Amino acid sequence: MKNIPDKNLLLFRSCLVSVEYPGIESSTKYVFEKLGIDYGISEKQTCCTGLGHYSDVFDQVSTTAIGARNFKVAQNLGRPNLVMMCATCYAINKKSVKLLNNKDDLREEINELFEENGLDHLKYEKNDLTPTENIFHFVDILYGKKDEIKKHVKYDLSQYKIATHHGCHYCKVHYEDTIAGVRDPNIIDELIEACGCKTIGWYDHKRASCGTGFRQRYSNPDLSFTATADKMKSLKDENVEILVHLCPNCHIQFDRYQPLISQREGREFKAIHLNISQFIAIAMGADWESVVGVQAHTSKIDSVITELKEVES
Amino acid sequence: MTTNQKITDTPINFAEEIIANVKNTKDDGVLKCVQCGLCTSTCPAARHSEYNPREIIERVLEGDETIIAEDYLWNCFYCYTCHSVCPVGNSVCEVNQILKQFAINQGIGWDKLYEYLGFADSYFDAAIGAIPEIFFDDIAKDVPGWEEIRFDKLDENRDKLNLYPPLMPPEDVIDEVSLILTITGFKERMENIRKSQEAEVEK
Repeated sequence: MKNIPDKNLLLFRSCLVSVEYPGIESSTKYVFEKLGIDYGISEKQTCCTGLGHYSDVFDQVSTTAIGARNFKVAQNLGRPNLVMMCATCYAINKKSVKLLNNKDDLREEINELFEENGLDHLKYEKNDLTPTENIFHFVDILYGKKDEIKKHVKYDLSQYKIATHHGCHYCKVHYEDTIAGVRDPNIIDELIEACGCKTIGWYDHKRASCGTGFRQRYSNPDLSFTATADKMKSLKDENVEILVHLCPNCHIQFDRYQPLISQREGREFKAIHLNISQFIAIAMGADWESVVGVQAHTSKIDSVITELKEVES
Repeated sequence: MTTNQKITDTPINFAEEIIANVKNTKDDGVLKCVQCGLCTSTCPAARHSEYNPREIIERVLEGDETIIAEDYLWNCFYCYTCHSVCPVGNSVCEVNQILKQFAINQGIGWDKLYEYLGFADSYFDAAIGAIPEIFFDDIAKDVPGWEEIRFDKLDENRDKLNLYPPLMPPEDVIDEVSLILTITGFKERMENIRKSQEAEVEK
């Protein structure tokens, strides 16, 4: 089991979280504060290049140079542990650290560009960061505090039928670092269990992609929505009411496009979609509007969670 | 006599070029492919389109460089399922990304990138990653209430959630990011693509 830090964290802001579901950021902060996790956020950190990288617009040198700059921001703040809210930020940044450490030519190329252009302060030294010790998704951090989560749970959500969707860019890219399963992913299931609930566990297509596929959703929507429908149909067959996510890309695909995919498939999909940080925040008693940010969701949270019952002590 | 022969005398050179690419993290994984097809059997693009990851590696190992012009390469979801299940430690997902960069360097697929230049512009001008505006009408049509959530109510919503710092990075950060994207050649590449595609439209 890898060493999971609970201090000197830089919570890495995500472009999609910021504008689509900002409640994921406030819920993560809320849960971190409940658990006594030491984190900071920086206005100097910029986007991982996400959709730009995976639409092939960003080349690897540009993405990694942007990464090197963000790593320096984290180090200068004394917060070298980068913690992502988005699976794609996690995949991209971890790959950049690996490349900078392992590919001397690339590191030297980027450092030379920095040096020649007055950006010496951004130069990356080999092993400034290590992929396993410094690059995390917040689910890793929460996993390290599973027993602590239990102590803060106020509401019992166990009456709902809950399933999980594990983002590919958390589970499958750097699979050697993934906690609690790759082909049978379970880290979100275990975090939900820490809140006193049981998920349905395995279901058909559990490990499959959400269907976003980056350019597929925008440039090839039929392919994208057909892949999403595979999973939605399987969740419907299991009568799932709450699908819990760890990535804003997947969250958008399921929450925003659920009405359209219902129409396309001629079946009514009615699940609600919560990020795991939002799910835990609700269980801990966070305010729905000022912390969880349910107002930004397309599939309304109160269409499923109609009452909150306190945990019996 | 005509020939359909695409295999070169030194087929392995193509694979070696892929192995040497900056994106490759799998050493010589591509050379270890045994054509078992596990990649294709777990691939969402293969399930629903003519995309075939096993065949991509077959053609790469034959030295068939014409593959970079195949339209189906652009169907990959970048879900890395193939990468995570390959029994010999190859990654078709990475090979695909490398083939696309080869294509782009040869002026192929620029029409596909053109739609995403909005992302590049937003990153260069404001140091923010954003869904390109060119897709907003489609999203608004497909997602009921999206414009209200995403635009009309965003500031109010972020205020309510007490989020800080603001969305827009400070000027000095934007300047530094623009400089980085200039010196890596990114800016020039984007402008070349823009010019060529806009010239196409005028024709």
